[in-house]
Amino acid sequence: MPIEIPKDKWTGSIRAVTIGATSAEGGTRTKTVTVGGQTTMPYLQYEAMPSGDEAPNKPVIAIEIKSRKPEDWSPLLADVWGEAMADPAQWAKKAEEAGADLLVLALTVEDTPEDAVRIVKSVLSATGLPLIVWGPGQAEKDNELLVPVSEATNGEKIVLGICEDKNYRTIVATAMANGHLVQARAPMDVNLSKQLNILVSDMGIPKDRILMDPTTGALGYGIEYGYSVMERLRLAALQGDAMTQLPMIVTPGFEAWKTKEAKVGEGVPEAWGDWKARAINWETLTAMSLVESGADIVVLRHPESVKRVKDAIEELVTV
Amino acid sequence: MQHTISFTHNDKQVSVEIPTGALLSDAAHLAGIDIGQPCGGQGRCGRCAVQVTEGNVRRRSTLRLSPDDVEQGYALACQTVIEGNVSIYIPPQEKIERRLTTDRVVAEVTVPEGYEYLQDQTVRRIHLELTPPSMDDQTDDWSRLQTAFRQQHKMEHPFGSAQGGVTCSVSLLREMGEVLREGDWNVTATIETSRRADEQTSRLIQLQPNHIDEYSPLWGTAIDIGTTTVSVWLVDLVSGQVRAQVAEYNGQIARGEDVISRIMYASKNGGGEELRQRVLDTINELIKTACKRVNAKPEEVVKATIAGNSTMIHLLLGIPASNIRLSPFITAVGHPPLMTAREVGLKTHPEASVDCLPGVASYVGADITAGVLSSGLDTAEDVTLFLDVGTNGETVLGNRDWLVTCACSAGPAFEGAGVVNGMRATQGAIEEVWINSETFEPTYRVIGGVKPKGICGSGLISLLSEAFITGIIDKAGNVNLMAISPRVRDGAHGGEYVVAWGAESESGEDIVISRVDVDNLLRAKAAIYAGFTVLADTVGIPLDSVSKVLIGGSFGKYINVEKAVQIGLLPDMDWPRFEFLGNTAVKGAYYALLDWRKRKQITEIAKRMTYIELSADNSFYDAFTSALFLPHTDMSKFPSVAEALSRSN
Repeated sequence: MPIEIPKDKWTGSIRAVTIGATSAEGGTRTKTVTVGGQTTMPYLQYEAMPSGDEAPNKPVIAIEIKSRKPEDWSPLLADVWGEAMADPAQWAKKAEEAGADLLVLALTVEDTPEDAVRIVKSVLSATGLPLIVWGPGQAEKDNELLVPVSEATNGEKIVLGICEDKNYRTIVATAMANGHLVQARAPMDVNLSKQLNILVSDMGIPKDRILMDPTTGALGYGIEYGYSVMERLRLAALQGDAMTQLPMIVTPGFEAWKTKEAKVGEGVPEAWGDWKARAINWETLTAMSLVESGADIVVLRHPESVKRVKDAIEELVTV
Repeated sequence: MQHTISFTHNDKQVSVEIPTGALLSDAAHLAGIDIGQPCGGQGRCGRCAVQVTEGNVRRRSTLRLSPDDVEQGYALACQTVIEGNVSIYIPPQEKIERRLTTDRVVAEVTVPEGYEYLQDQTVRRIHLELTPPSMDDQTDDWSRLQTAFRQQHKMEHPFGSAQGGVTCSVSLLREMGEVLREGDWNVTATIETSRRADEQTSRLIQLQPNHIDEYSPLWGTAIDIGTTTVSVWLVDLVSGQVRAQVAEYNGQIARGEDVISRIMYASKNGGGEELRQRVLDTINELIKTACKRVNAKPEEVVKATIAGNSTMIHLLLGIPASNIRLSPFITAVGHPPLMTAREVGLKTHPEASVDCLPGVASYVGADITAGVLSSGLDTAEDVTLFLDVGTNGETVLGNRDWLVTCACSAGPAFEGAGVVNGMRATQGAIEEVWINSETFEPTYRVIGGVKPKGICGSGLISLLSEAFITGIIDKAGNVNLMAISPRVRDGAHGGEYVVAWGAESESGEDIVISRVDVDNLLRAKAAIYAGFTVLADTVGIPLDSVSKVLIGGSFGKYINVEKAVQIGLLPDMDWPRFEFLGNTAVKGAYYALLDWRKRKQITEIAKRMTYIELSADNSFYDAFTSALFLPHTDMSKFPSVAEALSRSN
């Protein structure tokens, strides 16, 4: 007897968002990345209407690099990236080789606006990957750095971040003026995410230029909460809520490498096993859990995690 | 095509020529007449209303005009298009400042219909003529008095005791002998007949020499102890009239803004006694002020009926309140027994009767049972929503058949506390604000027409709404520092908007609303909105089917419903469904003070109400965060606000 699999019918879909512009599109990227466009809950493509055989955009992996050599990163990361960590352009190239679909370049408080522009340009010329640029995470400094970066890269369709409810106007305004996108981060709450999306889109930026960052926690550090928020955001979107129909970007690399399990190699119980294996497992599992709850872009730090998450995504979409 | 417009203004006539399609406001400007347009000519404020006495015009919007106004020819100058020759009368400014169709003003308090002092009141004055003692009649003074009660007023003791029908305290016994002799055995007794229990017992409150006019005022007081505001009404129990209404911030505010922090403070060493003393000081000072207004003395007040949330009543009585805060959230006493002022510490007549009204639960107290009584919710036929816009944001939903209630911590913002330039709704408070959306210049109205001192609750509602509609703040409450106006600036507490410059204000300092104030207001309105939406959800009543929304609160003499909807404090429904009742708790206490049947009714209300605990699941938190936005994260719940926003842009 044939078994009929029940199918949910959805009225809404996730907006497709394209990052980066090729020379034909007014930029200098050799490839662009498109995320979003889903019409079902993650990996239930057989529910897609009308035919169910259209392949949705796959989740993609961004590798996070920094404008200056980060002193507080795990020695495991310093080992694998080596000298390149001191040179953003080199680091970008190595990240591309490691399989990144796109790059996150995080600026730091030490950068002047001139440094920021110079470093962003060097990264853009080092690789053809689409780029996400984050300010250092202090409202005033973010605005001071991101505006000149945005102007200097007009037309590249980079993603500027990170917009938060207390500081979004300047970033959104400069993104609109220079044809870029923005990343909007709210602290792990469906309503707060939605509210920030409303604030950002109220400024007039088209909705296909917004990436939603619901914030997450690492495995063992609140990931279930992040997972649930992402799942509910996706459900709301599919049910037709226009203000949640945006692709999601999350930062499992940042979260996982903060944990004691990934960071500390000495003075921990023996049962924890090999440090390096554990750290990479932590990042990989965090990332994969989020991919399964609907993440469109996961930002990672270790090349081995990138490889494993990439393989896992392939398996998910080909089943 | 040109038309002639004739204006009558300040008894003068001016005429101008203007083409078809021009606005009346343009014509007035051309005629050199200055019609104020606080909202910037968007038809939002209704302040430019003029009367068309001859000819026809086309009204683009009559948002601010009642059908009666339109009938009388009123039109908004900024929304009225000229299509022919017309004559216009421009009313004087004070006439224009009439109430808007969306304003709900508190009704004056009147004595309940049919109030009969001798039937309804538990306290009364009686004259007694005692037979003087002699060598033939050596009965003791107290028995002599009892005999007079029994023989002259048929006051029998319920158990037939030889002691007679009236009890009294030892301190009265101490002065009794002197009073009897001073009045030459003619005395006036003030007695209270308790009707709380089935049997009636009488207690002597005071004994005065000679006969005092039975119909001269007998003073009682109705008190509401709010977490933020304490209100006292002084009432003549004989006529039933409220003779003075006074209010002041609760002196406990200095030790915590909400009930939780007060309870925590009270549980520290000596904290409870300090809080008790603080609120007593506030109440006693208010009673003194009220008495002064009518040339009475506080010692002449013989009865006090008190409403207040459960924590406030506990703190007043010096009863440990810590279990209110701890799960499973239990009060020490829901319905305190009758007490005397001496025991409680009120500086009225020491024997005055003190009656604390009953509450429902730890977070739904006597202020709400009294509020339900005064709002008439418990006898309503249709489903009615009662919102107490106060620090504890209690909500009651129901009708004569059922009542459910919940409470949420809203904070004191709408009472003007916890807001930098907030104040109570008294003289000098800005109670209404309009902002011109082009220039961001405000126009405001001050209670008493004096220089502004601060902003009261109704002013804050109107200011928040105007700042939002004109884009000075965004939907999350961030001040838009990109707005080009000297009034929008980066202040000590983040972005702020200057409502009144120092040169206009009483203190000489700028009156502002800051980012922090906006946050406090947002939290307050979100808590209240979330409270009633979750309550309605819990019982499966769609908000749409609520026939009336009754609003209580001490944030001003009126509320502009449209503004309260625009900030998402009230649900978006048609305006006639809203009614503003002012301080419903003190009003309920007043009814209970006057009439023992009403007093009984409150006890019944307390028993009938079902308390819904909002902390039982996540739905309140979810509703709260989605309401923490202007007007709400789900814009589809506020269609009228979406329309106002699109008009404004």
